[in-house]
Amino acid sequence: MKPAPFEYHAPATLGEALRLLSEAGDDGKLLAGGQSLVPLLNMRVLRPSALIDLNGVPELRVVKTSDGNGLSLGAMVRQRTLERDPLIRERVPLLSEAAALIGHMQIRTRGTLGGSLVHADPAAELPAAVTALSARLTVRGPSGVRTLSSEEFFIGPLTTALAPGEVLVDVLFPPLPPGTGWAFVELTRRHGDFAIVGAAALAHLDGAGRVDFASMALCGTGGTPYASPWLGDVLHGERPRAELIQEVGRRLSESVEPDGDIHASAGYRRKVAGVIGTRALALALDRAQGPHRAEVA
Amino acid sequence: MSSRHRIVLAVNDVTVEREVESRLLLADFLREELELRGTHVGCEHGVCGACTVLVDGQPVRSCLMFAVQAAGTRIMTVEGLTRGDELHPLQEAFWEAHALQCGFCTPGILMTIYHLLQEGAGLEDEGEIRRALSGNLCRCTGYQNIVDAVRIASRHNDAVKMAGEGC
Amino acid sequence: MGGRSGSGAEVDAGAIWVGQRLKRREDPELLTGKGRFIGDLTRPGMVHAAFLRSPHAHAKILSIDARPALEIPRVVGVLTSHDLPPNLGAQPVTHVFTDRNTPNYALARDRVRYVGEPVAVVAAESPYIAEDALDRIRVEWEPLPAVSDVEAALRPGAARLYDDWPDNVAGTFRAEMGDVDGALAQADVVVTERFRIQRQFACPLEPRGVLAEWDPHRGELVLWSSSQILHIARDCLAEVLKIPEHRIRVLVPRVGGAFGCKFHFYAEEVAVALLARTVGRPVRWLEDRLESFVATVHAREQVVHATMAARRDGTITAVTAQIDGDMGAHLHTVSYGPVWLTSVMITNVYQIPNARVHTRAVVTNKTPLGSYRGWGQPQANFVVERLVDRVAHELQQDPAEIRRRNFIPPERFPYKSLHHTFDSGRYAACLDLGLERLDYRGWRARQAQARREGRYIGIGFSFYVENTALGPSRMLNAGGVKQGGYDIARVRMEPGGEVTVYTGLCEMGQGFTNGMAQMCAQTLGVHPDHVTIVTGDTQSCPYTGYGTGASRSAAVGGAAVMKSSQRLREKISAIAAHMLEASADDLVMAAGHIQVKGAPTRAITMADVGRAGYLRPIELPPGMDPGLEVIEVFDPPQMAWPYGVNIAVVEVDAQTGEVKFLDYVVAHDSGTVLNPMIVDGQIHGGVAQGIGAALLEDLPYDENGQPLARTFMDYLIPTAADLPRFRLGHTVTPSPIIPGGMKGVGEAGIIGPPAAIVNAVEDALRPFGVKFTETPITPERILAAVDGAGIGAVSSQRR
Repeated sequence: MKPAPFEYHAPATLGEALRLLSEAGDDGKLLAGGQSLVPLLNMRVLRPSALIDLNGVPELRVVKTSDGNGLSLGAMVRQRTLERDPLIRERVPLLSEAAALIGHMQIRTRGTLGGSLVHADPAAELPAAVTALSARLTVRGPSGVRTLSSEEFFIGPLTTALAPGEVLVDVLFPPLPPGTGWAFVELTRRHGDFAIVGAAALAHLDGAGRVDFASMALCGTGGTPYASPWLGDVLHGERPRAELIQEVGRRLSESVEPDGDIHASAGYRRKVAGVIGTRALALALDRAQGPHRAEVA
Repeated sequence: MSSRHRIVLAVNDVTVEREVESRLLLADFLREELELRGTHVGCEHGVCGACTVLVDGQPVRSCLMFAVQAAGTRIMTVEGLTRGDELHPLQEAFWEAHALQCGFCTPGILMTIYHLLQEGAGLEDEGEIRRALSGNLCRCTGYQNIVDAVRIASRHNDAVKMAGEGC
Repeated sequence: MGGRSGSGAEVDAGAIWVGQRLKRREDPELLTGKGRFIGDLTRPGMVHAAFLRSPHAHAKILSIDARPALEIPRVVGVLTSHDLPPNLGAQPVTHVFTDRNTPNYALARDRVRYVGEPVAVVAAESPYIAEDALDRIRVEWEPLPAVSDVEAALRPGAARLYDDWPDNVAGTFRAEMGDVDGALAQADVVVTERFRIQRQFACPLEPRGVLAEWDPHRGELVLWSSSQILHIARDCLAEVLKIPEHRIRVLVPRVGGAFGCKFHFYAEEVAVALLARTVGRPVRWLEDRLESFVATVHAREQVVHATMAARRDGTITAVTAQIDGDMGAHLHTVSYGPVWLTSVMITNVYQIPNARVHTRAVVTNKTPLGSYRGWGQPQANFVVERLVDRVAHELQQDPAEIRRRNFIPPERFPYKSLHHTFDSGRYAACLDLGLERLDYRGWRARQAQARREGRYIGIGFSFYVENTALGPSRMLNAGGVKQGGYDIARVRMEPGGEVTVYTGLCEMGQGFTNGMAQMCAQTLGVHPDHVTIVTGDTQSCPYTGYGTGASRSAAVGGAAVMKSSQRLREKISAIAAHMLEASADDLVMAAGHIQVKGAPTRAITMADVGRAGYLRPIELPPGMDPGLEVIEVFDPPQMAWPYGVNIAVVEVDAQTGEVKFLDYVVAHDSGTVLNPMIVDGQIHGGVAQGIGAALLEDLPYDENGQPLARTFMDYLIPTAADLPRFRLGHTVTPSPIIPGGMKGVGEAGIIGPPAAIVNAVEDALRPFGVKFTETPITPERILAAVDGAGIGAVSSQRR
């Protein structure tokens, strides 16, 4: 399983990377962490004529704070950094918890935030996490810079709204209200496998203990992350309680339209979407309830 | 349609300079170019972990990196664990615990655990050790003796650290 | 094994090596990455091969043009079936059970019958270029209808794989004992079920590989192969290539796991040899992971319709089984041996007097089926142990007790089962050890408490007996096996007093050379470090009748070494007696010395004897020939039958179907233990594979014969995080028929887990009344059964 021949380029700036990508046209591929791309090259499923390596572009690795408690992460930030960096764990703990579940440690040392998002595997954790977090994705290309929401970015299985010649540059995570609870829970066949179904959940309670903010997104339940648009209607103003959480679970199972594969049929994913969703929501609510918030493992 | 590149890197503290084809995988570079054949190739799609080496101190699947990407890096392979004829305490622990049978997966596991011990991971709890090992497949041992070996090595590492030296 | 055996010196009982937990001799080499596996071997001028394989499950090859491949620079040669020598033999089958042949050759001739069948092979100066060259080979295919499972293959009018057969049945086998119909008629309980055991893959971490090199002047072939069958591979090469055996040398380097799938003789071995002869350079082929899932033999797949009958008191009176084995596209080296073994093991450890089996080996358009640890025993065990549990449930009897009631009791050994004779066994003692180690009563109490809390804990049993020390040569031949079951060992003391043992068995990670060295060392009174075991070269290693498999290395190989060592000891003794002017009976051998009992100053070393034996024959007893080398053969009079119990404790998440292990106990008896560390390691590894079979592994095909599991992302073997800690207990009942008392242990671990785990999951979900009849029991299947039981989803706390 050796790759087909390609020309390799290692630009030092984003501008140079964009130029090379433009020149390569349809036949060029960007190389980020390589954990998803290189297997496809080794299996000769993909045979790009040019590979443009982004690992040497420092501007893509920047971590910076933004308004309030927000955070901007460069597309080439490693998944292992998402998992362990104290600033990221503090500001966007949901992202850290999701990242910790990606494959195995040896994958995360190379895998990147941007690589996972652009690959857009329906079973991947990060697309669901950034969707739940209402992140904004900055994209740069020949016609300039634009920002997209997750819904705009993820348009189908393994398909994003990136136009030819465009590169994902960074992801902006808006600030969360202090005391927001979070959880990422997934069901896998083995530890570290792709999620059968995963759920990213956020919840915040007001002074009276009622939900005033909630957000969820599921992976493994269709071609793109499923962001439950009705969640607010069900939860806002309510106190967390078991029947409410079960109701969310039921609606999730009814709403998602998953595909099946050899590891799980659509029917099974549909069923466990509700189970995993409720577990994530319950944990997020639990973590939102006061000073005993659980630490990210 | 392929490109060739001159690379300079350090492998087990030895500087090497070579010209490589762009598509040459790091695993094949180490094995065929440098004749460091302790790193094994079990799958070439990043799942089995037999090819794990350290690149700038981080464990990486060398079947998913190209040699050209390793330019300017410091790489450690299993051959770098031994000093002269002496086995590293981690290797001793594996020997003691019968933590290998065919030995094909072993170098990748050694590099993974070596890294974690270097970082100061405690590696005492059964569940924690098993999760740490879950990125390396073994078909022979059923893992139990490997878990025991890791615990032995971890305790040795703690003791040595407390005595003021590193692993 | 200290003390006397035959005449001659005693070995000091203080130097007992057998049973010692000695560290393995090969480990420093492997730990430092210096082990030389097939992928590490290079030869001057070596080139690399890649195979073009059929993408179709069933197709005619209308034309094949490989010449464009030669246009790529640094491609040095390519072979298709057009280039095969006209007298090339078909791939041999060494286990002949049927008249129906499935002739297949190194490269497919005009028809392919499974996805992955080799069609062409190319050699280039790098494996990267070899793969580039494959893209240039032009093949014109005419796809044919395919059958992708046993049921489809047996349907009237189904597409046939072999035009000269009336159907897709390669062979059948029947056996019967007692009065089955009478027993069924009189039974109080009869349970019937259809079981399906899924297709699995031995999946060693190191795929296969071959390196072939010819000496053009002598017309001799040297072939390295990642293999278990040193001499048999040579025989097969000779048969296929039509050159005499003594012109072929086969070598086996370090092997990265094998588990039976490397016990076969493959098309690639011939194709690579032919390519090397054609291009005039050494050629190495390394199977890649993607290839391994279609090119290396698969295993296990069977559909079994079985019935068990019992009396109200729990006595099992009959068992019947209709077994259909899915053989894939052709009969490979061992034919349908595994399926046959399933059928004759259908009474397991129980004294069931009435039994009937009818077995069919069915061809389908899939990768051929072959050997995998356990061969056919896991399937038999699954069927029987599931039925026993079913009967226990019907009769409301404890599953441990119903087994105990039906065990063959110790006094009935040797016991003639449906086909085999079991040598010895204390099954109840082993079960007791397992129950005690588990704390069975404690777990039953915890299970009851959990149920009250809405949690589902289950306990499942599987008791197994296993066929090892294969086997009496005449019996094998009579059964259609074109090989013997003996082993030959050559033991030589060197002039310096060190010992070299030559065996035809091959190391694949199991470490048998250590136990062998321990046994030899103990017999000769030297330290195991002074014993070298040489393996893996037909030029120097003696012929092994059967090869390395069937749990025979310690028992048969070890017994041959023991016999040789004992005879050598007699000669050493006689020399020492002469040199010390004492009677041989008055001598003690220990730590490389031989001394007169009670007179420590009257002693010589092994080196002194070695020198006399080779350099100074004047010191030998009158009339004795020089030399200290002995060859002995051990042909087992019977097979040996180790046994044991697996007890699994699981918790099932009724909302997701996930299974978690709470405990796992194996109590087991494999006779005399040479090295307990190695024995335990074999059980750990086997149980891990058995758990994979129960819960994770599967090789599904679609209805067109396209394999759906092609990578490690599809075929899920257990990781460390998926497995429990195994708690092991041993009893030791030496085999009465193997010198040294060893039974085999290599395959023990893998037989019991599927039944134990499925029994445990059913036990956990007893409130739902669900049944499982297929493996793997995935969370999806478990959840479907729970939901289908009509009881609503129960909310359970997630831990």
